[in-house]
Amino acid sequence: MRGPLGIFSRVGGRQDLGRGAAFWVAFAIVALGLVAFPLFGSAFYLSNLANFFVYVPMGLGLCLLWGYGGILSFGQAAFFGISGYVYGIVAQNLSLTPGASLLGVAAAILATVIVAALFGYFVFYGQVSAWIIPLLTLVLSLILETFMAQTAGYQWRIGHVLLGGYNGMTGIPSIQVGPLEFGGASIALYLLTVIAMLLGYLGLRLLVNSHFGYVVVGVRDDVERTRMLGYNVARMQVTVFALAAGLAGLSGVLYVSWGNYINPSSMGLYAATLPVIWTAVGGRSSLIAVTLSTVALKWLADSLAVRGGEYAFLIMGALLLATMLFFPAGIVVSLNRLWRRARRHAP
Amino acid sequence: MSSPVERQPLLRVEGLTKAFGGIRAVDELNLAVAAGELRCLIGPNGAGKSTLFSLLSGIHQPDAGRIVFKGEDITELSPFRRVRKGICLKFQTTRIYRGLMVGENLTIARGKVRGTNGRLEWALGVLGLAGETARPAGELSHSHQQWLEICLALATEPELLLLDEPTAGMTPEETALTADFVIKLSGQGITILVVEHDMAFVRHIARGVTVLHYGRVFADGTLEEIEANHEVRRIYLGEQ
Amino acid sequence: MNVPYIVSLAYQYADNLAFLLLAALGLMIILGVIDVINLAHGELIMLGAYTTTLAYHRAHLPLPACVLLSFIGVGAFGMFLERTVIRRFYRDKLGALVATWGISLLLSQGMLLFLGPSLIAVPLPEWTLSYAGYSFGGYRLFSASILVVLLAWWIFYRTKFGVRTRATMQNPAMAQALGVDTRRIYLYTFAAGSALAGLTGGLYAPTTTIVPLMGTTFVDVAFITVVVGGGANPILGALTSSALLASISAPLSSVFGTFMGRIGLLLTALVIIRFLPRGLSGYFQDLQRRRMAGARS
Repeated sequence: MRGPLGIFSRVGGRQDLGRGAAFWVAFAIVALGLVAFPLFGSAFYLSNLANFFVYVPMGLGLCLLWGYGGILSFGQAAFFGISGYVYGIVAQNLSLTPGASLLGVAAAILATVIVAALFGYFVFYGQVSAWIIPLLTLVLSLILETFMAQTAGYQWRIGHVLLGGYNGMTGIPSIQVGPLEFGGASIALYLLTVIAMLLGYLGLRLLVNSHFGYVVVGVRDDVERTRMLGYNVARMQVTVFALAAGLAGLSGVLYVSWGNYINPSSMGLYAATLPVIWTAVGGRSSLIAVTLSTVALKWLADSLAVRGGEYAFLIMGALLLATMLFFPAGIVVSLNRLWRRARRHAP
Repeated sequence: MSSPVERQPLLRVEGLTKAFGGIRAVDELNLAVAAGELRCLIGPNGAGKSTLFSLLSGIHQPDAGRIVFKGEDITELSPFRRVRKGICLKFQTTRIYRGLMVGENLTIARGKVRGTNGRLEWALGVLGLAGETARPAGELSHSHQQWLEICLALATEPELLLLDEPTAGMTPEETALTADFVIKLSGQGITILVVEHDMAFVRHIARGVTVLHYGRVFADGTLEEIEANHEVRRIYLGEQ
Repeated sequence: MNVPYIVSLAYQYADNLAFLLLAALGLMIILGVIDVINLAHGELIMLGAYTTTLAYHRAHLPLPACVLLSFIGVGAFGMFLERTVIRRFYRDKLGALVATWGISLLLSQGMLLFLGPSLIAVPLPEWTLSYAGYSFGGYRLFSASILVVLLAWWIFYRTKFGVRTRATMQNPAMAQALGVDTRRIYLYTFAAGSALAGLTGGLYAPTTTIVPLMGTTFVDVAFITVVVGGGANPILGALTSSALLASISAPLSSVFGTFMGRIGLLLTALVIIRFLPRGLSGYFQDLQRRRMAGARS
């Protein structure tokens, strides 16, 4: 199907779980419910939900990169942090300029894409073994965290913005468009995160069902075969890596708009682990599974932080190990398969 | 001074040499293939046939020598660029995307081309794949997987098609069907080089044959000439 | 450029080299033989440090015995890990990476909950030398690292176990057909790599603070050393990689601080894998093959 209607057949394509009328009706209901929630939800709940939704683009980026592209990266947190810091630096330095926050958003996402492309150039054009990328992205995250953690003191500033060292950068202005401020407890920010989540999901679903998406999967399944069909595999891998980084960057600017601060732990060891956990536990082969697991696990981590923070990462580690051992395809994906099998055998 | 365009070979290989470990798989090999030719490459095991193909497609880089395609030196060119120039290889062991459907395999192979590829549609029909677009490629029978891979190669719209043992593991009927298909394909103007062990296939094709031995061209001629050649018989069967 | 300065530089170089080598060798052997990355490697080092520290303070054993206990104890734990988790992932290398990351979280968080945020360290043995104004802590690990490498080399190239391991590395199917019990080889190799991690932790225990997350300070340089070294030849790779990387990190960290040293290492790793994607040992292997090819003609 070509033309504008072709988009609908592509979004509905088979590269993700959930197809057909039932799925999309449910999707529409949930989407409407989320958008309408401010009518009856308190500011507290809006703010909490916004905090969960902020991370979905980052998780979806890793799902695309790892699940569809076959490239495991621990670097999403690094790009998240780069984005947050760059936004903070630009938005605060230019605070007197109108549209400063939008410039900050553009600069932040651009920064992540550039760093990712540079990193990708070294890694993908060398045709390195698959295990090198998780190692080097993990090292990148650790080094960035260590670097930012020791930037305390007045000499560590860009323009007049202090980097803040271990405590991070505070007083970051929320995104502002005209009179509309996308602050932490505002309906505006909540809706923005909902839209980012929905559009991110739909956009990626369109992408993975497009010709480009199939080639990405081809690269994952058989690199040599794809190369021998005339594709510049290295360039495609850098593109997907940079796209994932850009999505992490989107999460980053939404986060600092929500919380007005960023600190080195957003890029550190635990932060680097979380997207991998969300993706592995949900099921890296499915965008919708990762969307669901990101929100669910973020909610779980938040609840644990309140009741017994020390156990949070112990449970995360156990969850990750258990998933890899018993549900390697991911919990949501495995449940879907079980459900499908049950339906087929039902009378 | 300037030779007519028709007489310039499509593919010219000069002094090609490639060694693995201590063994010269391809040894100062010279070869010329004219446009539109259909030729079989035969030879005992280890003669260098598959290595030649991997050098032509760019999987391996030669230690010495050059490869000239359509008048252009492509020796340094990376594999994916050679495909874009018009050389496509069908691997010896089938390499298709097993987890994807047949149609999805073809989508990837076709690239972002708009419009239909008549030759590809015809090939899918002849080889019995036209109705299988929704089937996972890994579920196809072995011979259909081989045929799918030939179709994937065709989808790249090659000018030179390299087939490495396309009938491996096929029944005599399937072999004959493949041979007929290759002949018809050649009739449409694609230059085809086939590496084959199966002499039934080579006889069915009944075109030019090149014999490789120890990495060099041992004999070259029509099928009749090669079959009558005692030296060729000797290298296959040993000293009599 | 006076002699004491050069001696000091050489000393720092040796120090850096020892750290990289000891941190990375176990990981590289596992990578080279089994082709698996154990992301819990840092936590195994941490376990070694904890074992030594606890054995010293609670059991009052002499330091060398404590270190030996770390070597054996963490090695045994590695065998347990291989048996229960690792062997399920031999066909899924990235899966092994993620699963071992789960183990890493469990170990570090578990240690935090079990034994608290830190332990009192083993006191540093009192051997100091003074030389022309520079003082050197005698308890330095350059000789230990060389001994470890020699031991590994000896096992790899001079014992039957080593021959079988190398055969498994090159061609597991072939080795099995020749009667090598490849599953045993993988088990012992993983145990050996873990034991080396435990040894490293034990050796470094007196020099650093004993905290549950101490593994991370070892792994980021260990990972870089592994990436630069490559899995083709673990011992050669570990040696050449740490020798090269120490020559970069030692001057950088002495002039600009340890942090700059690590940035320099990451950048070096990126440049090297761009041009030598299989690392130094892969490159040497290719060179050797090419030399053999040339010799025959």
